[in-house]
Amino acid sequence: MIPVSDETSPVGRVLGTADATPLQFWTAVTPGSYLQLDDVVVTKRDLPDREPVTIAGVVTQVRARHEGAQFDSDVFAIADGTLPAMVQEAAEITTTRVDPELYVPPAPGAVVHRASGDARDAALHFDRMERRVPMGTGRDGVPVFLNADFLDGTRGAHVSISGISGVATKTSFATFLLYSVFRSGQLGADGTNARALIFNVKGEDLLFLDHPNTKLDDRTREAYALLGLPAAPFPDVRVYAPPRAGESSGAPDVASRLTGVDSFYWTLAEFCDLKLLPYVFADADDERQQYTMVVHSVTAHLNRYAVPAEGGISIDGKRISSYQDLVDHIVEQLTDDDTRSTWAGSAVNMGTVNAFARRMINSKRDLSRLIRGDLAQRRPHQIKTADSAQVTVVDLHNLPDRAQRFVVGVTLKTEFEEKEKSGTGRPLLFVVLDELNKYAPREGSSPIKEVLLDIAERGRSLGVILIGAQQTASEVERRIVTNSAIRVVGRLDPAEASRPEYGFLPPAMRQRALLARPGTMFVNQPDIPVPLCVEFPFPAWATRKSESGPPPAETLRSIVQGADPFAVVGGRPGADDDIPF
Amino acid sequence: MTRMFVDAWDPSYGSSFEGGEGGDGPASSSSAQVDVDVEVAAAEWAPIDVPAGARAPDVVFLVDGVRRNDAGLWTAEEDGTSYAGLAASYAAGVVRCDLARGIAELAGARVARGLFTASPSATDVQAGSVRYEVHRISGAGEASKLPAAVQAPLTALEIEISAAARDGGSDGADLLIVDGPLRNRRQLPRTIGYVKTQQKHYLPAAQEAIVPRLRPGQRTPVFHLGTVWGGWTWYLRLPGSSGAPWSGIVRVECSPELTAEQAIELADVSVATLPRFASSAYKDPRAPQNLVPIAGLERRLRGMLGDARVLHRALSLATSAAR
Repeated sequence: MIPVSDETSPVGRVLGTADATPLQFWTAVTPGSYLQLDDVVVTKRDLPDREPVTIAGVVTQVRARHEGAQFDSDVFAIADGTLPAMVQEAAEITTTRVDPELYVPPAPGAVVHRASGDARDAALHFDRMERRVPMGTGRDGVPVFLNADFLDGTRGAHVSISGISGVATKTSFATFLLYSVFRSGQLGADGTNARALIFNVKGEDLLFLDHPNTKLDDRTREAYALLGLPAAPFPDVRVYAPPRAGESSGAPDVASRLTGVDSFYWTLAEFCDLKLLPYVFADADDERQQYTMVVHSVTAHLNRYAVPAEGGISIDGKRISSYQDLVDHIVEQLTDDDTRSTWAGSAVNMGTVNAFARRMINSKRDLSRLIRGDLAQRRPHQIKTADSAQVTVVDLHNLPDRAQRFVVGVTLKTEFEEKEKSGTGRPLLFVVLDELNKYAPREGSSPIKEVLLDIAERGRSLGVILIGAQQTASEVERRIVTNSAIRVVGRLDPAEASRPEYGFLPPAMRQRALLARPGTMFVNQPDIPVPLCVEFPFPAWATRKSESGPPPAETLRSIVQGADPFAVVGGRPGADDDIPF
Repeated sequence: MTRMFVDAWDPSYGSSFEGGEGGDGPASSSSAQVDVDVEVAAAEWAPIDVPAGARAPDVVFLVDGVRRNDAGLWTAEEDGTSYAGLAASYAAGVVRCDLARGIAELAGARVARGLFTASPSATDVQAGSVRYEVHRISGAGEASKLPAAVQAPLTALEIEISAAARDGGSDGADLLIVDGPLRNRRQLPRTIGYVKTQQKHYLPAAQEAIVPRLRPGQRTPVFHLGTVWGGWTWYLRLPGSSGAPWSGIVRVECSPELTAEQAIELADVSVATLPRFASSAYKDPRAPQNLVPIAGLERRLRGMLGDARVLHRALSLATSAAR
C-alpha cells in the first residue's frame, strides 16, 4: 500500500480537459507551487464498495501556457498589462504503480500530492526491492536504487550503457556501479567476494582506481554519505599492462602509474597449447574470408606438434623463441609445397594461403610484445581474476586494434571457460568492456563476439555479468542488448536517440538525453516502468595522474621488486645492523 | 407546485440582436437638450489632442458583464394558464490593469443565475449543482420582454463587483471604465462610461462635422446632455480604425454630478488611456472599440458561465424530475 499523507502539500489536481488514463494523466499545478521533470507524485481514487486505489507516478513532461490568450501576439498585450490572462502549468504523469492493482483512471479534480519518504519509495518500487544498490540521487536529491536481483543474475543480469563519447561518462558510471555493488553491502557475501574485470581502452583513467582523489570535496563526501557509501578509492585493485614493445625485460608499458602494475603476456607454449591463433584473426570481416579454414588447421597443427622448450617452443625439430619466428616458420611451411598439406590440408589453394600468410605477417608488429618466448614461464603473467585482486584492470589503451581484440578475446574466453569448469555462479564476475560495438558488432561474427554472446546468454547462470558500454546501442549485436536487464543512457547523439533500441525512453526523456549533463544517466530497470534520471557523485578515486593522492601501501611492493636489492641494502645508512641470526 | 417545461429550442434563437455595426454612424437623432459651450464656444469646436500633462493612470479598472440565455421555459399554473420563463446565466467581472507593473489580472468576478418569469407561483430551480433564483417580473411577462429583464440584476452585479474590486486595491488615482453607458452607476468615483456604438445624433450639425475629422487619439470638446441618464460626454477616436468617417469613434461619458472642470480633466485622462487598450481588427470582430482587456474579460466570464449544453440538460432533467 502506498501511504498518502494528507499533511504533505498538495501540488495540483488531475486535469479534466485532457484524457486521464490509468497509465498516463495530466495534472494542473496549483498556482504558487511547481512540479519538475522526474518529481514523484501520488493521487487517490475512491471506488464504490472497495478500498481506494492509490496511483503513483513520475512527472514526464511539464508545460506552462497563458490561459485566456487566443493569439501568439496576445502575449505582448498580457505583458503590457492590458489583457487579463492566467499562467497555468500542467504536468504529465506517467504511472509507475497502482495499488491495489485496479487499473482505473484517476478522477479529474482529484488532489495530487508530492510523494516523499515511504510514498516515494513505494511509487518507485524501492519498497519491494529486497536488496537495493544505490546508484545515485534523483532530481529531487534523494537516493535512487537498482534492484540487485536484476544485477546478480537472480532475475536478470547485464548492464548496457549507451552514450556519446566524452560527455556521457559511461565508464565513470560503470565504475561507480561496481563500487556501489562492492561497498554498499547490499549483496552480502556475494558483494564482498565478487570480482571485476575492467578493460581500460582509452587513456590511463582507470589505472588509478585505488588512489584517493585529491579533488574530493565535502559536498561529494556528503553525496556518498547520503547513498550510504564510504567516499574512498577501491580497496583492492590489480593493474595489468602489456610489456613494453621492443624490450626484453617485460616491464609493463605504463606512463603515469608507476607502482603496482604487473605486465601480462602469453608464452609461445600457451599460445599453441590453448589454441589462441584464431584470436589473432578476431576482426569481424576476417571471419568472412576463405582462410578461416587455414586458421583452424594451423591452430590444430600447433596444438598437436608444438613442444614447450625453455620458454619458447620446438616444432618440426626447430626451436622457436619469439612470435616473429613462429610467424616466419608457419609462413615458410605453408609456402613450401612439400609441407603445406600437413599444415593446411590438401584442398587449399595458393591464393587462400597467401591471404592467410599476409595477415600473419601483418600481425607480427602488433602481437610480438604479447606473445613471448623469451620471458620466464613461471613468472605470473596471465590475467586470472580468481587469483587476482577484487578489481582487475587490464590496460589496453596503448595497444593497436588487433592486439586489443586479441587480449579481450583471449581473456574473456579464459575467464568464461574457468567459470564453466567451476560450474557455480559464485563468486560473481563483473566484466566492464567499453566500445562493445567494436567487439560485438551487429553484422558479421568473430571469436570475440561468440564469447560475448555466450556471456550475454549464459553468463547469468554462471555468475558472469557483462557491463557493456557503447556509443551506439544500435550497432551492437541485438541479442546482447536484449539480454541486458538494465539499460543506461547518457547523452545521446540526436540521430541515435530516434532508433528503436531506445524505445524504453518516453519521448520527453529521449529529448532530454540529447542534453544530459556529464554525471546524469537515465536508468531503466525491469521493475520500474519509467526510466529514472540519476545523478551519480564525482568519483572518490582518482581518474588521472594529476588528481591522484598517494598510492596505497600494498602497491609499493613492486618498487622493491623493480629496484636492485643490493642498491637498497647498500644505500641503508649505518652499517651497524646486527646480523639477523 | 408549478410545473415547468424547458423549451427544446436553443435559447439563442430567441435572443434579439443587440447593437449595430461599429463602423456605422448614428442612425437616429436625439431630442435631448445639448449644451456644447462647456469647454469651448460652439463656434470654436475643433479636435483636441492629448494635452502635454495628461498621462494614463497606473491602475485602470475595467468592468464588464456577460449574459447567456440557458433555456426558455413554460410554466403550467394551477389555473391552467401558462407563463414564459427564461433561465439565464450572467456574470460580471473586473480587470485590474496595472500598467506600471505590466500585470492584468481578474480583480473579481461573480456568476449568478436567474429564472426570469412573471409566473406568481414559480420557485427556485435546482439544476444539478447550480441554482436558478427566481426573479419575478411584473406585467404579462411576454417571452420577448424577458431578455431585457436580465439587464437590471447584471448591472447590480457589476456595481457590486466594481466597488469591491476598488476596495481591494485602489491608489486613489485609478480610473474605472464601465462598458456601456453609465446609467445608474454614476455614483462610483473616477468612473467613465464607454459607449462602443453610436445610435443617436446628439450634436448639432455644425459640431457633429468635427467628429469625422478626429484623428486617432483626438477627442471632441466636452458637451452636456440633458437627458435622464445624461451627463458630461465627449467623442474620441481610437487608433486602428478603417478610415470610414465614424469608425473607431466611441462616446465617453461621466457623471453629471461632477463639475465641468472635473469632467474636462477626466476627458483628458480618457484620451491618454483608452487608445492603448484598442484592439486590432484581425483579432476582434468589434475592433477597435472592443477594448483588449474587455475582450479578455468577456472570454473569462463566458468560461465561468459554464457549458450551455450541460446546463440546458440539467435544467431539462430538473424540471422533468419535479413533475
